Amino acid sequence: MAFWTLYRREAGSYFVSPIAYVVFFATALGVGAYFNFIFNYFNDYGIRQLTVLQASVNTFFFWLTLMVQIPVLTMRSFSEEFKLGTIEMLLTAPVREWEVVLAKFFGAFSFFITLWIPLFFNLLLLTAFSNPHVPLLWRPTLNTALLIVLVGAFYISIGIFTSVLTKNQIIAAILSFALIFLSFSMSFVSYLKVTAQTQNLLSYFSAIEQMDTYSKGIFDSRPVVFYLSGTVFLLLLTQRFLEARRLKS
Amino acid sequence: MIDVQNLSKSYSGFRAVQNLNFKVDRGEIVGFLGPNGAGKSTTMKILSGYLPPTDGQVKVAGFDVVSESLEVRRRIGYMPENVPLYNDMRVNEFLRFRAKLKQVPGSRIKERLEAVKQLCALQDVDRKIIGTLSKGYRQRVALADALVHDPDLLILDEPTIGLDPHQIRAVRELIKDLGKKHTILLSTHILSEVEMTCNRVLIINRGRIEASDTPANLTKLVRGGGSLRVEVKADAKDAAAKLSAVADVEDVEVLLEKDWLQLRVFAKPGIDVRDGVYAVIKREGWDLRELARERATLEEAFVELTQD
Repeated sequence: MAFWTLYRREAGSYFVSPIAYVVFFATALGVGAYFNFIFNYFNDYGIRQLTVLQASVNTFFFWLTLMVQIPVLTMRSFSEEFKLGTIEMLLTAPVREWEVVLAKFFGAFSFFITLWIPLFFNLLLLTAFSNPHVPLLWRPTLNTALLIVLVGAFYISIGIFTSVLTKNQIIAAILSFALIFLSFSMSFVSYLKVTAQTQNLLSYFSAIEQMDTYSKGIFDSRPVVFYLSGTVFLLLLTQRFLEARRLKS
Repeated sequence: MIDVQNLSKSYSGFRAVQNLNFKVDRGEIVGFLGPNGAGKSTTMKILSGYLPPTDGQVKVAGFDVVSESLEVRRRIGYMPENVPLYNDMRVNEFLRFRAKLKQVPGSRIKERLEAVKQLCALQDVDRKIIGTLSKGYRQRVALADALVHDPDLLILDEPTIGLDPHQIRAVRELIKDLGKKHTILLSTHILSEVEMTCNRVLIINRGRIEASDTPANLTKLVRGGGSLRVEVKADAKDAAAKLSAVADVEDVEVLLEKDWLQLRVFAKPGIDVRDGVYAVIKREGWDLRELARERATLEEAFVELTQD
């Protein structure tokens, strides 16, 4: 299968690229510092209503990290191939467009998952070294991880999609940031003066509310359906655009 | 091997290629010539399955390039014009990746890699990162990539552009060698290269085929294909008139009129008029310094066929 060959090349290119390590370092540092800050804050003020995990992922800082890192990860996926002309070489080999799109997606997705390992590593450290002992809450932890993976997949598909539109990486990054922010800002609509019905409807799309639910350890199937179908839709769109670009150029 | 029928390609209104018809048989080495912008690269991109034709039918090894694109792509080795390569990969890594992508069986990858590295003289740089290689090596990596799955048909878009004379010679020898096993379609601006390597030349201009023949036959077509260069001591007008009267001479042109008179005598295509010309010179008693047959080059044929 050409997919595996392509996937290994895509994932591999992340792990040999210096930019990817900068992103990894920045994320690990930011998440770690924030985690440490919350932990000390909770200790000093004796806060017991929230877990450290809840406090880490229900902040704007968390979402901003997510919204900035994904465009940086995905901006080069197709743009660079167009710019260097390697797309011509790639698509004259016996590969199908969807294999290329999926390989790009899963390549970025694999690295994205690597980026968020430090957060859960911090939780493990907390469990292992805290005194008195802080238990690791399995359900909230797994649910949070699941939602990060789902939202990540959706945002990455946005990033891959914008990168197929242009050969300029910067434009691809700005465009994907704008689209990701647009989809995220559904969460803000509930702050506006809208009818209860609209508010109700839009709260289904609100990433902030979803994270609130998930990090409490409550599983909800609606975000799973929403993000998975959104990802599939955008990847299909990417595949069509890739074909269209080839057909007209 | 290649069968192109009524191929047309338009880019948003501009017709890059119009009604192209040609065939290439198995085992041929065909040179694809034409001025810049004549539609060479476009045609090659269509043949390799990268671009779809606007109109017409293109078959490679019996498969349609649009509906059976994967089958076509399995059988061709395509080297694009400006050799795009992944700059972050090592040569070995890249060739292995391409071999897998082109479905070379796992057990044969090692052997194929060694073979193409040997052919393209890449053994010394096989562990280097492609981004650090010189133009000549990049060109050879791209050629190795085109060859790695041992394709029936090689499509090479300007394989020698940007190489130094030694490298050009090496690539030319390589192409000649490859021609024993593969069918090759190559485009180039270096006409001497075509004369030396190709069995057949296709000349394309403004999206149309102008000529398709062996290099030798093409040069015969050109005016002056069998012209004579004569240097005598005589009066220009007199000499021109008398030489024009020789049977089968079409035209006489005075090149230089000094102490010695230089003339060019154009005969009808394919006819040797040296005897007749010499007979006149002898009869008139002119001093003769040179009487030589001139061969038209492919370059002249190219210019004549593609000028507006």
